Amino acid sequence: MEPLSLLRKMVEIESHSGQEKNVAQFIVKTMQELGFEAHIDSAGNAIGYLQSEPNPTEDIILLGHMDTVPGHVLVREEEGKLYGRGSVDAKGPLATFIAAASQIKPAPGKRLVVIGAVEEEVTSSKGARQVAKDYKPAYCIIGEPSGFNGVTLGYKGALQVHYTLTQGMSHTAGPASSVGEIAIEWWKKVQNYCEEFNQEKKALFDQLLPTIRSINTSSDGLEDKAHIIAGFRLPLNFSQEDFLEKLSSLAPDAKIECFGYEPAYRGNRSNPLVRAFMKSFLQSQLRPIFKVKTGTSDMNVVGPVWNCPIVAYGPGDSDLDHTPHEHIEIKEYHKAIDILKEALNQLCR
Amino acid sequence: MASVNCIECEGEIPLEEDVMAGEILQCPHCGSELEVVSLDPVKLDLAPEVQEDWGE
Repeated sequence: MEPLSLLRKMVEIESHSGQEKNVAQFIVKTMQELGFEAHIDSAGNAIGYLQSEPNPTEDIILLGHMDTVPGHVLVREEEGKLYGRGSVDAKGPLATFIAAASQIKPAPGKRLVVIGAVEEEVTSSKGARQVAKDYKPAYCIIGEPSGFNGVTLGYKGALQVHYTLTQGMSHTAGPASSVGEIAIEWWKKVQNYCEEFNQEKKALFDQLLPTIRSINTSSDGLEDKAHIIAGFRLPLNFSQEDFLEKLSSLAPDAKIECFGYEPAYRGNRSNPLVRAFMKSFLQSQLRPIFKVKTGTSDMNVVGPVWNCPIVAYGPGDSDLDHTPHEHIEIKEYHKAIDILKEALNQLCR
Repeated sequence: MASVNCIECEGEIPLEEDVMAGEILQCPHCGSELEVVSLDPVKLDLAPEVQEDWGE
C-alpha cells in the first residue's frame, strides 16, 4: 500500500482510547501484506515483526500508538496537507514506522518490531505497559511528532492529584470559611510551593508545573464537599512520595490522593541510536534539532524499564496535537519516511 | 583508537572510526555534551542547547 493511502486510511478509522480494535485489525492486515509477521496481542496492540532468520537476538522496537483523543476532524487533503484526528498524534508517526520498516531487510540476528499501542492518550497506558513486560529491546524509537528534522530526547513526568475536603454544613452568615474558600487557599499554597521550587530553574523541563483540571463544590444538606483535580508536569528525579507528603501537610483536614504517576524520562545524545539518525540527517544535509517535551508519551512508561537508547521520532507539529485543525504536511510525512528508513538501515546492519 | 580531548575537562574522549561532523559526543569524564564541528583535525565545541517543545 502506498504510504499516503496507508496514513489516510488509518486516520479515517476512528480509534478513541479503548476503541482501537478496527484500526488494529487494519494495521495488522496491512503489515502482513507488506511482509511483516503480524498479530494483535493480549492488550489489543498491533504487532509486526520483520526478521531475515529465525531466533533473532536483538530487537529494535518502533513503538507508536493507535488511539486518539476524541473530537472529529473531517478527513481531507487540502494544499498539500492531510487533515484528520490523529494525523499528527500519532498515526502520522506510526504510519511512518510501517512504511519505513517495510523497506528494510534486517541482518541475521536482528528483528524490527513495529507496535501500534492502545490507550496512550489515557493514564492507563495499557498497551505500553504490556510491551514493557513482553520485550527487552536493544533500541527503541517512540512514534510521536518531533518534526521530520527533529529528535525528541525526553518527556516531562505527570501526576494527577485529587483533593477532597468534607465538613459539616454551617450557615453562610456564620464566621466559618466555606469548603470552597478553604480549597482555594490550599491551591494558592500549592502554587506558591511550585513557584519556590522553580526559582533558578529556567528550563520548563526542570520545573514543576501545576494546573487545575476541575474544581467542584457540593452539599447533601448535612455535609459540604470541595473536590479539586489537579495535574502536575514533573521534572526529572522528582519524588512522588515527598510531594504527596508536602501537599498533605498544606491541607491537614483534606484527603489527598495521587493517580496516573509517570516519572519524567530523558535519554542522552551520544549512543548508536542517535548516531544512526545523525547519519541519516547528514546524508540529507539536515542539521537535526534535539528536543525535550512538556507532555508525556509511552517513553515515560518503557524508558525506565528497558533502559536502552531511546528517542521519539515522527513527522508533524506537536502544537497541532488534539486541536480541531490537526493536520500533517504530506511532503514532511514522505521526508520522515526517508530519514527513518536510512536510520533503520544503519541499525539493522 | 583515535581520541580527542574534552574542551571542558581535557579528559580523553575515544572516537569511532567513522566519526561525523555534527555528531554529539559525551565526555566520559565530566559528562559534557560536545559537538564535532570539524574532522581534519577533529575539533569540538559545546553541543547546541536542547530545545523545549509543548505537547507530546
